[in-house]
Amino acid sequence: MSDRKTFVVEHPAQLWRTETRREFLRLLGVGGSIVMLPAVLASCGDDDDDGMRPPPNTGVTLNLSTETGILNYAYALEQLEAAFYTQVVASSVFGTLTAELQEVFTDLRNHEVAHREFLKAALTPANAIASLSVNQSTFTTALANRDSILKTSEQFEDLGVAAYNGAGKYLTGTNLMLAGKIVSVEARHAAAIRDIRDALGITGGAGVNTRFAGDDVVDSNGRDVVLEPANVRGRVASANVLSTTLTIGTNPPTRAGSGAEFGPPNPTP
Amino acid sequence: MQNTETILGAIDPEVAERLVTRREAIRQGASVSSTVAAGLAMASVPVALAALSKDAFAQTTTTVQDVLNFALMLEIFENEFYKAVLGTSSSTAQNTAFTTVRALVPAAARTSLGQIQKHEAQHVAFLLSAGAVNVLNLTADSFDFTGGRGAAPGPFLAATTDVAFLLLTAQAAEDTGVRAYKGQAPNLVSNTAVLENALRIHSVEARHAAKIRRMRRLLAGAPSTVRFSGTVSGGDASAAGATGTPPQAAVAALGLVYGAGTDAANFPNEANTTQGGIAIGNLPNLPTGFSTNSATEAFDEPLSRNDVRTIVQPFFKVTIP
Repeated sequence: MSDRKTFVVEHPAQLWRTETRREFLRLLGVGGSIVMLPAVLASCGDDDDDGMRPPPNTGVTLNLSTETGILNYAYALEQLEAAFYTQVVASSVFGTLTAELQEVFTDLRNHEVAHREFLKAALTPANAIASLSVNQSTFTTALANRDSILKTSEQFEDLGVAAYNGAGKYLTGTNLMLAGKIVSVEARHAAAIRDIRDALGITGGAGVNTRFAGDDVVDSNGRDVVLEPANVRGRVASANVLSTTLTIGTNPPTRAGSGAEFGPPNPTP
Repeated sequence: MQNTETILGAIDPEVAERLVTRREAIRQGASVSSTVAAGLAMASVPVALAALSKDAFAQTTTTVQDVLNFALMLEIFENEFYKAVLGTSSSTAQNTAFTTVRALVPAAARTSLGQIQKHEAQHVAFLLSAGAVNVLNLTADSFDFTGGRGAAPGPFLAATTDVAFLLLTAQAAEDTGVRAYKGQAPNLVSNTAVLENALRIHSVEARHAAKIRRMRRLLAGAPSTVRFSGTVSGGDASAAGATGTPPQAAVAALGLVYGAGTDAANFPNEANTTQGGIAIGNLPNLPTGFSTNSATEAFDEPLSRNDVRTIVQPFFKVTIP
């Protein structure tokens, strides 16, 4: 927490940020002052809507106390994966990849887009969260070359497996079955990407020729990764891949799990 | 889609129903705890109800127990299969059966198969520690990995001499495991700790299946329907992507691995393209080139215990009840 006594608002969009409001309140408490630069006041003209209404979709809140909320959590992750692979296939790097990798990324894009659109349709417009916006500068960095694309893919796929494995206990009946139909596909993707990186000499916590289900993602009881939603959200936030702020409003109901959370390596090797 | 049922709301009718059916069962000589028997004998509903609530819990535990026992049976089968392939079985006969093909498996592939076998052994140990029981007293010698039940060489005999066929067989075993665990998930909602463990084993089996697909494609001349992404493309026997001309009986067996279960509505063919009543191919925003196969690959399908039993029975010398 800052102990400054002056807060400078440089741009009108700052007025909509939580941090700005928090700083306003803090300064009120310590007798500080707030300075608005000309750009802020200039935007007050009636012909200028920049900054004087909330920017679209700056935040999405997940309410995980219901199965609908858990499916929205899955929908959020699928949006992220689908957006990434769509950009991979459209990137300039894609054409330079081997036929094997082109097949893999085309498949992954097709499957993740299908997951995204399926969950959106199943949730119905009344219940589905908004479309998330990605942080394009993070994506652009990840899309720079083959190796960074593969690394980001591994991060997304392992995280997806961990998320679905942790979310299953909050679902029942048809919803549980549908999630089960998706998670094994995510696990297949994760194994494929890990196997490709294995062949490229990246071991990182697993022996050569074992990365597809390496000791870094399968524990000594032969069990895969598992993470609770709060942990997954935290990893998504620290990866800085979304411009939309993803928040958990209400937590999932209390359900016994399999024990301690076991996440994939963070950061991804 | 929302789960608004209270716990009591869900259990009460079940207990009431059981009270009636159990009373009939007791008349026919079924065993019951003495407290329940006393309660029923005295026609004391509160006593019988209270005791049956406990029995109802035990009943739920038994269902979870059935799933654990079933999973253990499959894991012992897989573990013993890979041990025989790798030459580490406790049965000399099983090791000897795979001598020819073992020498043909490249070292890198052998390491990967070793990692898979390690997980299957871990699954066996973990399920036993979780209370699973080896009901059939299975040992290394309980299996006939050619699929002939020990009577005569079965349709998968080529797995002992041909690497491509060996990997095809391994892929079918892993995909059967994935479908089996998926099919049991709804039976575990009463015990979410077991459910989560089962899901965590389920995704490891999927990783194995993906790796084996990739090995087949890279080493063993498998067709492009065997995806580099490790996913299941299409359904029925063609989803196996067999090379050469396998025996008719093997094709039929692979048809069961990738086909629909007896209850096709709940256990669809891997070729299924409709999920939760939604036709995947009709969804908006699908990319150019999105095919029927893409729709089948994006979702894996479950099988029932009976379906899985039909698939694996030929590899067991004993009859699976």
